[in-house]
Amino acid sequence: MYSLNENDEFRLKKNALNIRKNILRLIKADRAGHLGGALSSVEIMTALYFQIMKVDPKNPKWEQRDRFVLSAGHKCLALYSTLAEKGFFDESLLDTYGSFKSIFPGHPDMHKVPGVESNTGALGHGLSIGGGMAMGLRMSGLKARVYVVLGDGELAEGSNWEAAAAASHHGIDNLLAIIDRNGLQIGGRTTDVMSYEPLAERWRSFGWNVREVDGHNFKSLVEAMSAIPFEEGKPSLIIADTIKSKGFSFAEDKANYHYWKATTEEIEQAEKDLAEIERRLVG
Amino acid sequence: MSEALDPRKTFGEALVEVGEKNKNIIALSADSSSGSQLTAFKNRFPDRHIEFGIMEQGITGFAAGLATTGKIPFFVAIAPFVTARSFEMFRNDLGYMRQNVKIVGRCSGLTYNTLGPTHQSLDDLALIRTIPGVVVLNPGDPVEIKKVVHAAAEHVGPVYIRIGSPKMPVLFEEDYNFTIGKGILMKEGIDVTIIGTGTLLYQAYSAAELLAKDGIKVRLINIHTIKPLDKEIIIKAARETGKIVVVEEHYIAGGLGGAVAETVTESFPVPVKRIGVDDQFGSNGPYDQLIGLYGLRAEQIAETVKKFIS
Ligand SMILES: Cc1ncc(C[n+]2csc(CCOP(=O)(O)OP(=O)(O)O)c2C)c(N)n1
Ligand SMILES: [Mg+2]
Repeated sequence: MYSLNENDEFRLKKNALNIRKNILRLIKADRAGHLGGALSSVEIMTALYFQIMKVDPKNPKWEQRDRFVLSAGHKCLALYSTLAEKGFFDESLLDTYGSFKSIFPGHPDMHKVPGVESNTGALGHGLSIGGGMAMGLRMSGLKARVYVVLGDGELAEGSNWEAAAAASHHGIDNLLAIIDRNGLQIGGRTTDVMSYEPLAERWRSFGWNVREVDGHNFKSLVEAMSAIPFEEGKPSLIIADTIKSKGFSFAEDKANYHYWKATTEEIEQAEKDLAEIERRLVG
Repeated sequence: MSEALDPRKTFGEALVEVGEKNKNIIALSADSSSGSQLTAFKNRFPDRHIEFGIMEQGITGFAAGLATTGKIPFFVAIAPFVTARSFEMFRNDLGYMRQNVKIVGRCSGLTYNTLGPTHQSLDDLALIRTIPGVVVLNPGDPVEIKKVVHAAAEHVGPVYIRIGSPKMPVLFEEDYNFTIGKGILMKEGIDVTIIGTGTLLYQAYSAAELLAKDGIKVRLINIHTIKPLDKEIIIKAARETGKIVVVEEHYIAGGLGGAVAETVTESFPVPVKRIGVDDQFGSNGPYDQLIGLYGLRAEQIAETVKKFIS
């Protein structure tokens, strides 16, 4: 079993802090953006890009690379921020968010942003794309893996379940899906809007091997992510329990910060919150 | 021009041919491998045939993902289910993502004569030609089906191929010149232009023969590529013949007739008569009678043309 050491955990926490800073930077550029689902996925993205995935920021199309698909494309602020932190492009570019012909649209575009692998935003089809990538890599004899991040509200889209069945039927075990279970979607609690609980049981019944972890805890995230395939011949799923808008005190676990039209006071508060996280981390 | 061949079988043979040439070509099936004539491909390349079951939306996404790794998927199924059912995935995963995937809608148009509107596909050209960067091919005889499959395999980017099911008479020589986006002048004429496409090219051809007997000099054009459209040959026809008739097994809204009308109104306005199915769901019954219901048989087309030019 893989266990994350203290140094690595500290390093990942610093990356996560920088990624949250980048998210705020993007939002400040346009005064608005999909906040909540970006913040809840920060530790997931950090663990993937800074501990698990084999990618080369200097050679984004490297053939052997692991692939990442953000099925919940509206979480793109987290993806852009992570790619910037990883060095796929210069961080200062983030300030162009929202400007005319910025390379960062409100949902990811693989032809504009280095490191983005697919065009998502219409919810519910990222798992099919990721499944196809994993199949193609396997057919080509490549060892690379595919990582797909999904929202929990997004799971009501039927095409997810087509992909879930197909990935299992074809034994695609170089595929890891991660559900960011923040429990909220636009209309409120996911269990009130359209419940797909119990998630773990449902996915297991579709032939996946499932683990549930604390989605803000690097030790448990990395431990699970480095154990794939959880079972040979089966696709793996991590259900990551998270808090929507994690890190911004005024917005945590609130449905109305799904999309944030930022006020000056809120931005000041967010800056204070991040400064406090930094103080606690590095003293 | 006596022999008539099964278009699906012809497609299936062509797919094996391109599969021999390029090992990246794979076939995706939605529980319709035999109906889609993928059996020959599957027998020849068992590892390159993937069965998914009935999940056309999901398959379109899988196809995009496979294409990102260098595979060239041909996803073949009943036309409405790979166009209307999965339209958004076609648009986003193949069009917007610019993936090298070939979608083949078979048994298109009124082919499913008895099965009715759920299985008929009279809107696929209208839908798919709105997607930026997608090549839309509608072959008009068995020889052209082969050319289209080879051209699609060589073209890098998303392609939609529309194929019918009733036997198609052979109209072209094996060595005729086929290029994506280039219409084919089949008959010179100055009185009126008939543009035919796909499954009804033969009816358009026969209508032109009938009209010739009445002394009407018809220019006959085969438009096998709905997109990118050969505007040059169409505008030239508008300028030189003054009137255009478009014949297709599709709704008159949004199909090739629509595309031709859009082209001439902007560049050289002339009257355009669109012959196809008007604003209604298709009926059911024997294929010949069904196309007769919408005025798509050669003698009906000839009548419509006469009225249109008089
Ligand atoms: C097909 C589709 N329908 C609707 C939307 C609009 N939409 C964007 S985000 C969202 C809620 C998503 O909730 P969830 O998947 O839980 O994401 P998260 O909580 O992580 O933000 C909706 C309905 C969309 N992007 N795509
Ligand atoms: Mg959610």
